[in-house]
Amino acid sequence: MSGKKPINSAIARQERTFTRFMLGQRWEHAILILSSFVLLITGLPQKYRGMSWSQDLLSTPERVEFIRQVHHIAAIVLALEAIYHLGRAIYLMARRKMSADMFPNMQDIYDAWHMLQYLFFLRRDKPVYGRYNFEQKVTYWFLFFGFALMGISGFIIWFPVQFTQFLPGGVVPASKMAHSTEAVVAAIFIVIWHFYHVHIERLNLSIFTGRLSEDEMKKFHGREYERVTGQPASKLDEEK
Amino acid sequence: MTTRNLYRQAPWLVITGVIVLLASLFVTFPAVAKPPMQQTEQYCLTCHGDSTLSMTLKSGETLSLYVSQDQLDHSVHSNKGIECEACHNDISTYPHPELKYETKRELSLNYYKTCEKCHSDNYAKTQDSMHAQVASEGNTESPVCTDCHGHHDTRKPNEPRTLVSETCSKCHVEIVDAYKQSVHGAALIADGNPDVPVCTDCHGVHNIQDPRTVQFRMDSPELCAGCHADKKLMDKYGLSSDVYSIYKRSWHGVDISVYKARWGAVWHDSAVCTDCHGVHDMKKASDPTSKVNPKNLLSTCQKCHPTAGPNWTDAWTGHNEISLARTPTLFYVDKFYTSFTPFILWICIIYVLLQIIHSIVDRVRSTLS
Repeated sequence: MSGKKPINSAIARQERTFTRFMLGQRWEHAILILSSFVLLITGLPQKYRGMSWSQDLLSTPERVEFIRQVHHIAAIVLALEAIYHLGRAIYLMARRKMSADMFPNMQDIYDAWHMLQYLFFLRRDKPVYGRYNFEQKVTYWFLFFGFALMGISGFIIWFPVQFTQFLPGGVVPASKMAHSTEAVVAAIFIVIWHFYHVHIERLNLSIFTGRLSEDEMKKFHGREYERVTGQPASKLDEEK
Repeated sequence: MTTRNLYRQAPWLVITGVIVLLASLFVTFPAVAKPPMQQTEQYCLTCHGDSTLSMTLKSGETLSLYVSQDQLDHSVHSNKGIECEACHNDISTYPHPELKYETKRELSLNYYKTCEKCHSDNYAKTQDSMHAQVASEGNTESPVCTDCHGHHDTRKPNEPRTLVSETCSKCHVEIVDAYKQSVHGAALIADGNPDVPVCTDCHGVHNIQDPRTVQFRMDSPELCAGCHADKKLMDKYGLSSDVYSIYKRSWHGVDISVYKARWGAVWHDSAVCTDCHGVHDMKKASDPTSKVNPKNLLSTCQKCHPTAGPNWTDAWTGHNEISLARTPTLFYVDKFYTSFTPFILWICIIYVLLQIIHSIVDRVRSTLS
């Protein structure tokens, strides 16, 4: 089924599915993964220039130049993607069509508190989440600001002379440190947080397929299921 | 009777004799404190002490044959009893064999080889030097032993230490002039400072290498670090001994160390100490004529970063650790990544661990029930 169709017109074949991500969003994620991965593997050897493993990889000055060019090309790709993403958000906001689903709200605090109680065995039930749960919002916003930081600091250390024409010189060493450190922080975060939640806790491939099954909707996004279908997602509650 | 008496006294005589002999073993004569006697010097000087004695070489040059007593008195050799013929080994008596050299230079270039007899190590080192290389390319002016050390008045080459730069300035006039203006040269000349480097401390003594090579450039930061990373020495002058370790972590320093480690033969322009501080004319940063004085820093940066604007110099953190006063932006970024970010990451880790523990407990429970 096409990702562009409205959510509640999901066609049930053997199993009813719900559109979670539209084709554009799936493409955005694919570009994000690819460019970030290229940036990471071309960035780490540059960060660790003093280490012998890096010097083994970058065994000639030409290779250093090459890896920098690959890094810059991937950076441009990611920057274009970020501009598209922000541009689209601004466009939607201007037309009052922006979904508030991804923005943090008080419900996330309540859900997090609820989840914490659950994790400490103080409650038997998990929170019933909306379209995006607070874990997913943390992922999005952590990476949103992480990538913003990477992008800004990256362009500053790519064009330090140009940027210091109007910015104070201190931003250059600060950007160098931020770029180098934030990259590792973001990588650690993705491995711990994102990989656990989408690969280990359960295999959530909706960002690639664009769809969630009815069971997944009920189990992990109960409030969204109720909002979309008007039916209670209580079947799971009975199981517990 | 007398013989009998003698026989009686014989044991005593023998004992006394033995004691005297044994005692004599412990008697040593004091070492000769006076200079050893010169056998031939005075003999040679009967002719060569005449200040007008000279001869004309085939080239038309006049070669003075005068050797003054004063020169010899200052020579390290004469005072050690080393004779004229130790060096002039083709001359043993009068009349002398005919001098076969056509020019004075030719004479020097042949006579200096006798230095090798005693100073074979240093002689061998000079054969690897820049000077020897230039000589082998046909430059007869390239210095040999005697050009630096003198011949009849060979003195200790570094007493006083200023003598070293004076010796080099015989040829390298402009460089020594620049050195004399530097913080090192000025301290040497004004105070006879024993810590500042003289020419030979950086360039080596006998195996002086070409300082314009890639290798010399790559090694030069460590050369400076020899003193400038020495805490005891730097404390004496109120200087930081961290300049080198901080440089090594900087963009320039990392770049240079990679090139040095892997591509030692490739010229690389990333800055080494001398690119910013000057080669022979390095001065205190507070000196208004210093290349690294705040007033001149931008033009120094612009040598490599020609389009850099006035803010650019602040991008250089100097040889300083991160501090709020000097590099506030960097200070806050550092604080952010050393306190806030690890805190957030730990929360994430703990949260995920709690989830893992909970799911394990759930599985165990569902298996047991």
